[in-house]
Amino acid sequence: GTTKTYQIPIGHLDYKFIEKCTDVKHLEKILRVLRSGEEGCYPELTLFCEKRIEHLDPRSRALRKDKPAATASDFTAEEWKTINGELMSWVTEMNEDEKKPQFLRTDTLHERQDNLPPIRCSSSCLPANQNKKLQNKQRNKKNIPRDYSEWDKFDVEKECSKIDEGCEENNSKARFFSRPSLPIIEKKIDTTGMTMKEKVFIATREKEKGNEAFAVGDYVEAVSYYTRSISVIPTAAAYNNKAQAEIKLQDWDSALQDCEKVLDMEPGNIKALMRRATVHNQLQNYQAAIEDLNKVLCVEPENAIAKKNLLEIEKKLKGLMPVSETQGKGKRILIQDIEDSEGDEERGENTEERGGSKAEDRETQKQKESTESGLKKGTSQKKTQKHLSDHEGAGSAGGGSSASLPPTAAKLKCEGNELFKSGQFGEAVLKYSEAIEYVMGLGEQSPDDLSVLYSNRAACYLKEGNCSDCIQDCNRALELQPFSLKPLLRRAMANESMERYRQAYIDYKTVLQIDSSIQAANDSANRITKTLIDQDGPSWREKLPPIPVVPVAAQLHRWDGGNFTSDSKPRCEKAEEKFKTLKNEGNEFVKKGKYEEAVNKYSECMKLNTEECTIYTNRALCYLKLYKYEEAKQDCDHVLQIEDSNIKAFYRRALAYKGLQNYQASVDDFNRVLLIDPNVLEAKKELEEVTQLLNLHSSAVAGSQQKQRKKITIQEVTESDEQEERQFVTSEDVVTDHVTSKEAVQNSVPLKTSEKLRISEPSNAYDFGQIINAVNTSKDKAACADLLTITDPKKLPVLLSNKLEGEIFLIFVQSLEYYVVGKDPGLVYQHLFYLSKAERFKVVLALLSKNEKEQVQQLFDLLSETQNNQYSLEDLESLKKVYEL
Amino acid sequence: LFLKKIEKAKPLKCGTFGATSLQQRYFATGDFGGNLNIWNLEAPEIPVYSVKGHKEIINSIDGVGGLGIGEGAPEIVTGSRDGTVKVWDPRQKDTPVANMEPVQGESKRDCWTVAFGNAYNQEERVVCAGYDNGDIKLFDLKTMSLRWETNIKNGVCSVEFDRKDVNMNKLVATSLEGKFHVFDMRTQHPTKGFASVSEKAQKSTIWQVRHLPQNRDIFMTSGGAGSLHLWKYEYPAQRSKKDSEGAEMGVAGSVSLLQNVTLSTQPISSLDWSPDKKGLCVCGAFDQTVRVLIVTKLNKV
Repeated sequence: GTTKTYQIPIGHLDYKFIEKCTDVKHLEKILRVLRSGEEGCYPELTLFCEKRIEHLDPRSRALRKDKPAATASDFTAEEWKTINGELMSWVTEMNEDEKKPQFLRTDTLHERQDNLPPIRCSSSCLPANQNKKLQNKQRNKKNIPRDYSEWDKFDVEKECSKIDEGCEENNSKARFFSRPSLPIIEKKIDTTGMTMKEKVFIATREKEKGNEAFAVGDYVEAVSYYTRSISVIPTAAAYNNKAQAEIKLQDWDSALQDCEKVLDMEPGNIKALMRRATVHNQLQNYQAAIEDLNKVLCVEPENAIAKKNLLEIEKKLKGLMPVSETQGKGKRILIQDIEDSEGDEERGENTEERGGSKAEDRETQKQKESTESGLKKGTSQKKTQKHLSDHEGAGSAGGGSSASLPPTAAKLKCEGNELFKSGQFGEAVLKYSEAIEYVMGLGEQSPDDLSVLYSNRAACYLKEGNCSDCIQDCNRALELQPFSLKPLLRRAMANESMERYRQAYIDYKTVLQIDSSIQAANDSANRITKTLIDQDGPSWREKLPPIPVVPVAAQLHRWDGGNFTSDSKPRCEKAEEKFKTLKNEGNEFVKKGKYEEAVNKYSECMKLNTEECTIYTNRALCYLKLYKYEEAKQDCDHVLQIEDSNIKAFYRRALAYKGLQNYQASVDDFNRVLLIDPNVLEAKKELEEVTQLLNLHSSAVAGSQQKQRKKITIQEVTESDEQEERQFVTSEDVVTDHVTSKEAVQNSVPLKTSEKLRISEPSNAYDFGQIINAVNTSKDKAACADLLTITDPKKLPVLLSNKLEGEIFLIFVQSLEYYVVGKDPGLVYQHLFYLSKAERFKVVLALLSKNEKEQVQQLFDLLSETQNNQYSLEDLESLKKVYEL
Repeated sequence: LFLKKIEKAKPLKCGTFGATSLQQRYFATGDFGGNLNIWNLEAPEIPVYSVKGHKEIINSIDGVGGLGIGEGAPEIVTGSRDGTVKVWDPRQKDTPVANMEPVQGESKRDCWTVAFGNAYNQEERVVCAGYDNGDIKLFDLKTMSLRWETNIKNGVCSVEFDRKDVNMNKLVATSLEGKFHVFDMRTQHPTKGFASVSEKAQKSTIWQVRHLPQNRDIFMTSGGAGSLHLWKYEYPAQRSKKDSEGAEMGVAGSVSLLQNVTLSTQPISSLDWSPDKKGLCVCGAFDQTVRVLIVTKLNKV
């Protein structure tokens, strides 16, 4: 028989038939029959049929059921609370707004009315049918004579606008079917007479319109709407979105500007930083891009995209270096200024010597930054990862020798390992996948090897930030080989980055059961404990899934497994980790200018590893800073024995030689630096200087009496203490030299200061600041005096900008007092006068101690003793008042 | 909390705030007698603007240029059973600024619904009207011409642009027999017009469609069976393509049902979203009940 409706054979109302039927339409009919109950009530079968349809066509209309509106009971208490809470807060917000005097019906309204466009030309009649359109139009266009009553109402302006509109009409008709390609959207919104509330509303609305346009891919339109939003109220979000749209349009300059505006408003804005990095990358400002990405990673150490981009950019930068080392910003920074460039330096060197450990370096650098910002979480996370990549090295070493793997697969795996080491994770994934497929094709003879392959691929995914695939691979690896360490660790990390803390915790704990000595796992477990307590409260343990108990066999198995070559591996790893920590600490100290401590750290490092050149070059740097030239030279020598073309070692040895006054050797080393890389600007400068020194040195022997005297004084100074130095400068002729011939100044200044303090007339506030800082750190009053001598007092406030500080103020006063006042009191007066005009002067003055005030008083006393035509006593008195004396 | 009750002689059919400023908040209504009135709700005794606009009932009303939505002059459009669609400027008394009526001799159709759109700058503006015979007409107010017309076979109950104040993007038209059509209004083909996708929501009339003010690709339809359906429009990979003659033609996307609820056994005839609170909506039904609903998780769509 058949059913009443649709005439379906009764036999079709059957599990077997439904299971096999693939005709959705037919199934829908069956479902309708079943639902109607006309052939009897079979709730199970109905459900089965529904499921079948859902399986075949999840969007089938037959599946739509009438549902009543959800009520409180349909939600969990928590959800309902948030829904309710949001509504209530909105209601209160609205009520508050209501109370505010919103109805400002004053003249603002009229103003707005004036801004409105004119009223559309009246009584234009539009036919509602297309076929009659033309005919009708013609009728419209005819000028029908007006009667008198109409003339009375005649509005000139209206008629004018009508004519205007008529013109427009014609224009637009011409292009009617070819549709204007780009709609004209006003860039600005007239907001006269609007209340703040309205402005906020409109700004938000325009931004939303922008977002919608962006979502569809109408980036030009999106930019216009964002611009409109900004024209009403400039918000960081609108600028940020606009930047993103501009990036899509490849309008890099505008995007850069907008990112910068966002960062002006919200200095730590992650999105803006990411976007600016993208723009910098596109504009090939790789260094700037890296800086931005590092800032991002500083705040969000887990940001996978940032990591990935950073890696790519670094790769690019590295690829670029040999080609365009010319003005390569990065390269220059490399040597120029230690404080800033330690990170770069390391990166460069490590990649050279350790080949594959590029990713690691990046992490080291990141780690440093995160330590700086006190992000403990980030630090230990990085450690874990580093630990892992060490594992990887071990694994790959073992993998090569793994005999049970068929040769093809083994080869693929090796290639994969190589690619992984060089940071090409994507390609490595492909190789591993091939290997996996190959092994799978052979049948599952070797679960161990397959497990390693999965585990390695998981490592690649983890590096790429593809956490879900990483977890999948780890799961597979663990299925094949339960309780193997690496996949467990990797899964833990992936889970952690995905904020699945519970799973991550379980995995770390399992790892610790297998090997309790893995510090990274320990740290991570502790860290997650904290997070979970924050998240779930004291009873967090109850919410944890059970931690699997590791059988003793597995604990032993771990070292028998083919992945690990030896027992001593973890110890090596630990040593390496300790080494890194020490090195990082050293680098930290360098950054802070604590060279003594840094030297200690580096020395400890050397006990652990004598091969690492970076440590030596870094320590050499510290020695240079500490004026221990001999030691610096030795360190450089050591490096150059290991690596005969280490550019940094040459550069630093050159500086050391210079300090040791072995100018010839210094020149040689600088030349070598320039031979390796002709574009190191610092080396060029230094070379010029040292060559001059060298010439001076040799010519001095045969030179005139005066010159000789000069030279001798110079030599004294190099090893002198302050007193001697003072003597030297007070000796008249040198100072005259300064004033009379500028060349002499430039030559003699660097000599005198023994260090590379070359004082030339500062052209801008930045230069000036640099010199002041140098002077200030070495407390070199003579140099400061020189600086002040050649600086035009009138420029002082500009040059100081807002950088005037107590220390600088004091060293100014002291150097003026000791060196300049006797020579040129007029200049001293001028300086004091303009110093008082500088920014922050009042603040600095207010913070001076009694002692320090006395020094200023002394200077004034000296000034009043030595009369000069450039200032009168009254001038001095009034200036004294300014100095609150 | 019942605030105030105002009774007027003629029963009201439709109303809008669309052409008033955020400060003024005047309410424009169309009644059964064909009158268009604008009320100051603070002083509702006499209308601030009143005109006998149509000979018969005003079925539908829409406003633009107010509430910060839409560039250009504030305008109100009314559609009536007398077959005309008229555009009004509250600043001009007695006469409409545009009048779209069937040519004499043509049979006049009952206009059921009107909507403004394309008001992205001071000049551009369109009115869309739906009629009882399934006609949809698009009037261009800038060029004062009929820009496009089509027929969806069944009476058009409700039309709405996804946004009034952007370059025409999408138009949804709902019909008597439970279908609705989404037109992609970006690309107009010289002969084929706009591309569209249609979807059958339920077995009964779809009385109204309203787009979410915070996301133009989400809209809700209200149905004759007392149900509400929440839809999302998904754009195709390419919104336009070239036909064999090289003319641009639009490509329609797809519509997916996000959620549905049944609230009443009677039709839900009217529906609107809150412009301020995302997801808050109100609907009126034939069972004389006004219901306020909140749609959650719209952020995740």
